[in-house]
Amino acid sequence: MIEVHNLAKHYKIAKRDPGLRGAVKSLFYRKYETKEAVKGINLHIEASEMVGYIGANGAGKSTTIKMLTGILTPTSGEVKVNGIVPYENRKQNASHIGAVFGQRTQLFWDIPVRESYELLKHIYEIPQKQYEETLAEFVEVLHLEPLLGIPVRQLSLGQKMRCELAAAFLHRPKVVYLDEPTIGLDVAVKVRIRSFIKQMNARYGTTVLLTTHDMQDIEEICQRIIIIDDGSVIYDGSIQNIKSQFGDKRVIHFELENSDNFILPQELAHAAQVLPREEEDLHKISITFSSRDISGAELISIMMNHYTVADLTIADPKIETIVEEIYGRGMKKEVQHEEVH
Amino acid sequence: MIRYIKLYYLFCKQNLKVMMEYRMDFLLGVLSVMLQQFAGIFFVKIVFDHIHELNGWTFYEILFIYGIAATGRSIHHIFFDNLWTLGWQYIRPGKFDRLLIRPINPLFHFIADRLQQDGFGQLFIGIIVLGTAMPHLDISWGFMEYVILIIMIIASGFIFVAVNLFFATLSFWMVDSLPIVWTIFNLSDFARYPLTIYHKGIRHLLTWIIPYGFTAFYPAAYFIKGSGFENLALLTPVAAIVSCALAYLFWNRGLKAFTSTGS
Repeated sequence: MIEVHNLAKHYKIAKRDPGLRGAVKSLFYRKYETKEAVKGINLHIEASEMVGYIGANGAGKSTTIKMLTGILTPTSGEVKVNGIVPYENRKQNASHIGAVFGQRTQLFWDIPVRESYELLKHIYEIPQKQYEETLAEFVEVLHLEPLLGIPVRQLSLGQKMRCELAAAFLHRPKVVYLDEPTIGLDVAVKVRIRSFIKQMNARYGTTVLLTTHDMQDIEEICQRIIIIDDGSVIYDGSIQNIKSQFGDKRVIHFELENSDNFILPQELAHAAQVLPREEEDLHKISITFSSRDISGAELISIMMNHYTVADLTIADPKIETIVEEIYGRGMKKEVQHEEVH
Repeated sequence: MIRYIKLYYLFCKQNLKVMMEYRMDFLLGVLSVMLQQFAGIFFVKIVFDHIHELNGWTFYEILFIYGIAATGRSIHHIFFDNLWTLGWQYIRPGKFDRLLIRPINPLFHFIADRLQQDGFGQLFIGIIVLGTAMPHLDISWGFMEYVILIIMIIASGFIFVAVNLFFATLSFWMVDSLPIVWTIFNLSDFARYPLTIYHKGIRHLLTWIIPYGFTAFYPAAYFIKGSGFENLALLTPVAAIVSCALAYLFWNRGLKAFTSTGS
């Protein structure tokens, strides 16, 4: 369904000296610097696969998706989605794809949701009968009934996202790109959205490419993940594999009464590391460990024996940590070989 | 084509509904534009209280030019007003991407996204001014004259559209070209008076480079005997078509540049 071969995108960005002087100088004379946002990636995604496309901010996720949707023309390489080259036949490609771009609405701001859907029906030339069926189904699954008469601008974030999702799937697209569809939403809405996506995939065989920072999204929706870092694919394989290798990573943040002379207690030296402190939060100590080496409870109790702990938070394993970890352990090559097709 | 006409109708219907929702906005917008136009006409009236003619043009002839400019401009103002917003409302906040993943022409979608109520004020004033001026001109108004007048006004509207489209397109390279669009648009004020009162340079600029001359003065001159511009005036529809075509080609180039650099 999605075929990507040696895809690369380079941007030219103006380099500017700092301050007002730099700004004035750049009016007359500019140095350009090439930024390689995507460096020759290869992807092969089958029809009706659900793939998590993850990476840190600025890793090249959005740039890739923009090229897949036809918004951006690649610098080099080949893209084919459903047999169509998106940036050459943008309109043709557009009728087969759906998209949700995080905070940017695809709906019409001032008009009620139902009328937005009506307009989309005409834009995508959806047959009346199919439109009615689809909408009835979506209204039920996403609980849209009370929202249909309200203008988009008056909806809450969660309500808007539900409407947004329905809009992306309304024309029964073959491929749907979801860029951070659950960002900033409460748990109940997240659950509903995830089950909706799974249902669409089961029913219509929709291919889904999902980018998110929420590991829960990935675990529940995707069978496969692709991790991109600094413009290159560093992992492409099953989610189980990555979880068993890296999913045991935990981070606990401690707030200590006195953290000036903090050193990691002797007992933890073999099992945990201290993360570099963030500048704005110098008294916070973050400790990373693997749940295979030591349990969270054990670590906390050791810490409490040595220091007066004012507060602590246990963080979910973040995708950034996993990416770091892949590099850190030098697993890059090893894991890449285990591709699933 | 039929599909686009139908789509435009549907977009319009939605836009009208929104307009009705903000009733106060509608009335204030229309009134303020009418007031603004009226101030311009009032100024001309004061000038003509002191002189009888301006370089051979009478008060009603000038009023007639004014009327054509106002009605032509109203076409642009009502239906193509979104051109002003390309940079700051679409490209800068990333909203333009939305138009690129729809299976319809992005320019069409962009234009159809908005209907500008304030333009109706322009239209009313334009029609009133034309209605006032026309009986005082030395023309017998038959069917053909009306048809030609309407064609001229439509052409005038599309020249406004073409010029704005051309300069709005610069936003694809520079994010927001609004200051340029605005500066150029202000040149059209010159075109509301007989071009013969200006220096040759300005006249050529407004005829062949930024063809605002065809938005009011030349079309009006077609109807005024002895103006000496009857033949050039016939080029008005041609000027409209050529400038729209050029602007659209330029838009496509801009779009191409945009999709290869991103915002």
